[in-house]
Amino acid sequence: MPMVLLECDKDIPDRQKHIYLKAPNEDTREFLPIANAATIPGTLSERGCAFCGAKLVIGGVLKDTIQMIHGPLGCAYDTWHTKRYPTDNGHFNMKYVWSTDMKESHVVFGGEKRLEKSIHEAFDEMPDIKRMIVYTTCPTALIGDDIKAVTKKVMKERPEVDIFTVECPGFSGVSQSKGHHVLNIGWINEKVDTMEKEITSEYTMNFIGDFNIQGDTQLLQTYWDRLGIQVVAHFTGNGTYDDLRCMHQAQLNVVNCARSSGYIANELKKRYGIPRLDIDSWGFSYMAEGIRKICAFFGIEEKGEALIAEEYAKWKPKLDWYKERLQGKKMAIWTGGPRLWHWTKSVEDDLGIQVVAMSSKFGHEEDFEKVIARGKEGTYYIDDGNELEFFEIIDLVKPDVIFTGPRVGELVKKLHIPYVNGHGYHNGPYMGFEGFVNLARDTYNAVHNPLRHLAGVDIRDRSQETPVIVRGAA
Amino acid sequence: MSQSHLDDVFAYTEERCLWQFFSRTWDREENIEGVLNQVARLLTGQEPVRDTPQERLFYADALTMTNDIRERFSWASQITKEEVDSLISGLKARLVDVTITRSTNRELTHHLY
Amino acid sequence: MSNCDVVTITPPDVKLTPRDREGIINPMYDCQPAGAQYAGIGIKDCIPLVHGGQGCTMFVRLLFAQHFKENFDIASTSLHEESAVFGGAKRVEEGVLVLARRYPNLRVIPIITTCSTEVIGDDIEGIIRVCNKLLEAEFPERKIYLAPVHTPSFKGSHVTGYAECVKSVFKTITAEKGKGEATGKLNIFPGWVNPGDVVLLKRYLKEMGVEGTIFMDTEDFDSPMLPNKSIETHGRTTIEDIADSANALASLALARYEGATTSELLKKTYDVPHNLVNTPYGIKNTDDMLRKIADLTGKEIPESLVHERGIALDALADLAHMFFANKKVAIFGHPDMVLGMAQFCMEIELEPVLLLIGDDQGNKYKKDPRIQELRDAAHFDIDIVHNADLWELEKRINNGLKLDLIMGHSKGRYVAIEANIPMVRVGFPTFDRAGLYRKPSIGYQGAMELAETIANTLFAHMEYTRNKEWLLNTW
Repeated sequence: MPMVLLECDKDIPDRQKHIYLKAPNEDTREFLPIANAATIPGTLSERGCAFCGAKLVIGGVLKDTIQMIHGPLGCAYDTWHTKRYPTDNGHFNMKYVWSTDMKESHVVFGGEKRLEKSIHEAFDEMPDIKRMIVYTTCPTALIGDDIKAVTKKVMKERPEVDIFTVECPGFSGVSQSKGHHVLNIGWINEKVDTMEKEITSEYTMNFIGDFNIQGDTQLLQTYWDRLGIQVVAHFTGNGTYDDLRCMHQAQLNVVNCARSSGYIANELKKRYGIPRLDIDSWGFSYMAEGIRKICAFFGIEEKGEALIAEEYAKWKPKLDWYKERLQGKKMAIWTGGPRLWHWTKSVEDDLGIQVVAMSSKFGHEEDFEKVIARGKEGTYYIDDGNELEFFEIIDLVKPDVIFTGPRVGELVKKLHIPYVNGHGYHNGPYMGFEGFVNLARDTYNAVHNPLRHLAGVDIRDRSQETPVIVRGAA
Repeated sequence: MSQSHLDDVFAYTEERCLWQFFSRTWDREENIEGVLNQVARLLTGQEPVRDTPQERLFYADALTMTNDIRERFSWASQITKEEVDSLISGLKARLVDVTITRSTNRELTHHLY
Repeated sequence: MSNCDVVTITPPDVKLTPRDREGIINPMYDCQPAGAQYAGIGIKDCIPLVHGGQGCTMFVRLLFAQHFKENFDIASTSLHEESAVFGGAKRVEEGVLVLARRYPNLRVIPIITTCSTEVIGDDIEGIIRVCNKLLEAEFPERKIYLAPVHTPSFKGSHVTGYAECVKSVFKTITAEKGKGEATGKLNIFPGWVNPGDVVLLKRYLKEMGVEGTIFMDTEDFDSPMLPNKSIETHGRTTIEDIADSANALASLALARYEGATTSELLKKTYDVPHNLVNTPYGIKNTDDMLRKIADLTGKEIPESLVHERGIALDALADLAHMFFANKKVAIFGHPDMVLGMAQFCMEIELEPVLLLIGDDQGNKYKKDPRIQELRDAAHFDIDIVHNADLWELEKRINNGLKLDLIMGHSKGRYVAIEANIPMVRVGFPTFDRAGLYRKPSIGYQGAMELAETIANTLFAHMEYTRNKEWLLNTW
């Protein structure tokens, strides 16, 4: 019985199809968690909505684009100040959010006029900005506002602006994953191949599916610069709207987040014949492998080896210092989906950490094929895990650290388990060589934090000594 | 073909190769064929085929895999062409079975991305 | 640092105008369901069930976690497409049953609607009747209260959503229990305040010898890490507390927009006297609150509070005309907080020249006596913008508005950062400063600590901008 029915799930036995405990000599032909399926109401799932998958995760990263959210103000408020994706132009994307502030009269009489005025206002208020994405939300989708017609009208009146529309209200799909899909497919259908940019290198690629969390994109960009590879478009970390219109010009698509952005890479391959290379950007051996493959594609293997050697010389000793001190520590990963398979092996190979439980909010079955292929036996693989399941799993696997979001981090803190922000990071970037040392450092600091040991002491109990914690200097 | 060699290479592929898990059946078939044909050429000292962008990418994936196989498995240095052919066809069959034929991934055959 | 303006002769003007744009750039408030969820988590053994898309819950839980650095349990009906077409009744029923089965101590489930389920038109009251039958059949020994909370996001804001949920839960629970024996206790509705404020109110009641109940009691939103790993992060307000509100001596609402409606409901339904005072920001408002409590209960204001008041005044006097006078302040956030803060600013000689309050209750604000009071007291112009967003603040600064201080919540942080204007975090959420949820802003102590925070913020700014930082070489 390798699919697991947890004690807390005895009243919702369907959950058994979503939780797998890997045993020897098994594989995903027999045991693959059901994923990307509807959540059971009232379970305290971790999932978000399709709208946020489009706006917060992908579109809202762009550094030069107004994010106009057509609906009540809450959808704008909630997808603002919840991400750490800086840009090299002063973080325009994190500073602003736009809403049509829909009211009851618009529900009754339609919100198109309101949207039209709000779009004009937004461009008028910020005259330097010429690009916009308009999103529907639950109520504007339900009342059937034709946002495409509105944006077409505005573009006619303002020929210098360009507007993209995303129609994925929060109730569509089962998680944020639906929003990724809608934005990907909409963009390739409507915006790719509508602009040509200057090509400055004989080697060109798109870097797809990294969102510049704490500077990931900018760190990796230093590698591409050193290799002389022109990144036509970043989808979408530190990216621009117009660069994304030129994605068809690249020779290669390099994909990091296959879940949020694999769709556009597939379409670029199908429509323009641009091959898709999936890599892992977290971890030393993975990053080196990714660079080697990219360089082999372009026939610049020597440059790649030189870069890797330089980076290893600089960062590997630091990584090894942490590895020595993290060896055998147990980690749980409760994040969106892809980081499960990106990380499970890299923390094991590079840091000696054992990943003992993983839960994905919005991964698909493909993600579980990947993570179960890579992950360890005796590890739990959970789709759409909920709060009571987390408590039970913690009891079963006793992790030393959990990579998850800040809210769950606050929860597990009470259980004396440190967390590292697996979404926005603690002190990143975490991608690339330097980044993985950052991840190692944050993990080390979390696992060896003195408070964790002090928390277990009951000062009334004289048999317990308050420990003096001795830490190695990092 | 040695069963243990196939097990070695299969375990390696599971651990390292994202190309086997692309989105749809036809992507997986194409990658398994494309990459492993190049691996077979590289393991037997033949020139890889690099005429199209896609072939260059298969080569890039295959180069990493070939180097890793040589580095990880001592048997790889003495392997004959016949053994390579049999190893690669065995690996193809196994990957097709795991990632396509008997995969329960419900999205594999969706006609759209 | 002090800029002595020449006194102008024109009479001061206090204007109340709405935002003059259709759209919002940088909202000041979240939507109604968010406020309803905040009210819900203040109740013990309660998990709010939000009937809508999952984002309506996930982000609000994150927001609370950002502000309080704690996790709160809130459930979603996870509305999907088929519910949008065929209605979501089954999702609610399943959600209620799943919660009841998996959380054996659960006693209250506010069922909070959202824009989507209001547009679809799900009959929440009807669904609740069905759910009650299902619960009675499956759990005959348990009573679980289901309260309908109608909070479409296209009306009001998280401020009105908070008030709506408090009201609905009280209505549901008191209706079940009915009028009982008089408790002699005071119902206190402080509105949307921090745990630090709740702790202060409890202390004041204790010092006065008054028995009172704070609705909602959020003291444990600041909860400990304990040796036994137990989790105590939850509201302290019990069903019994709420039921007994109908039997109280009187109700005292401290927030016109966040608590008064429930106080009025108790008056209307159970004849519990309704009283409303200004939110006790600053000295005078605190005086008024304490005197009102004394009047209602017949208790004396004790020496200890006279002492605390004196300590606060003594501290404020060191700051007001030396450092605060003529400093121009913009304040944004919840209406009760903003207007109360403006009153407090007047006491300490700060000049609140721009007040930004949100949502679509413009007509209500017009009748707020605090605005008339500001009109009477101010010797400078005050712009009050309602239905405001944070772009209003940024734009005015870009257009030349000179400010010495911004007071508001963390979502306005970049306005202050870009304009290099010192900012003191007040209100909700204040996730970019540590521990503010623990500190009171109301009462004498709150006034004093807030003024000191303002002063220290201005001092640090003087130092880092080298603006007469030598003033503090001796003080």
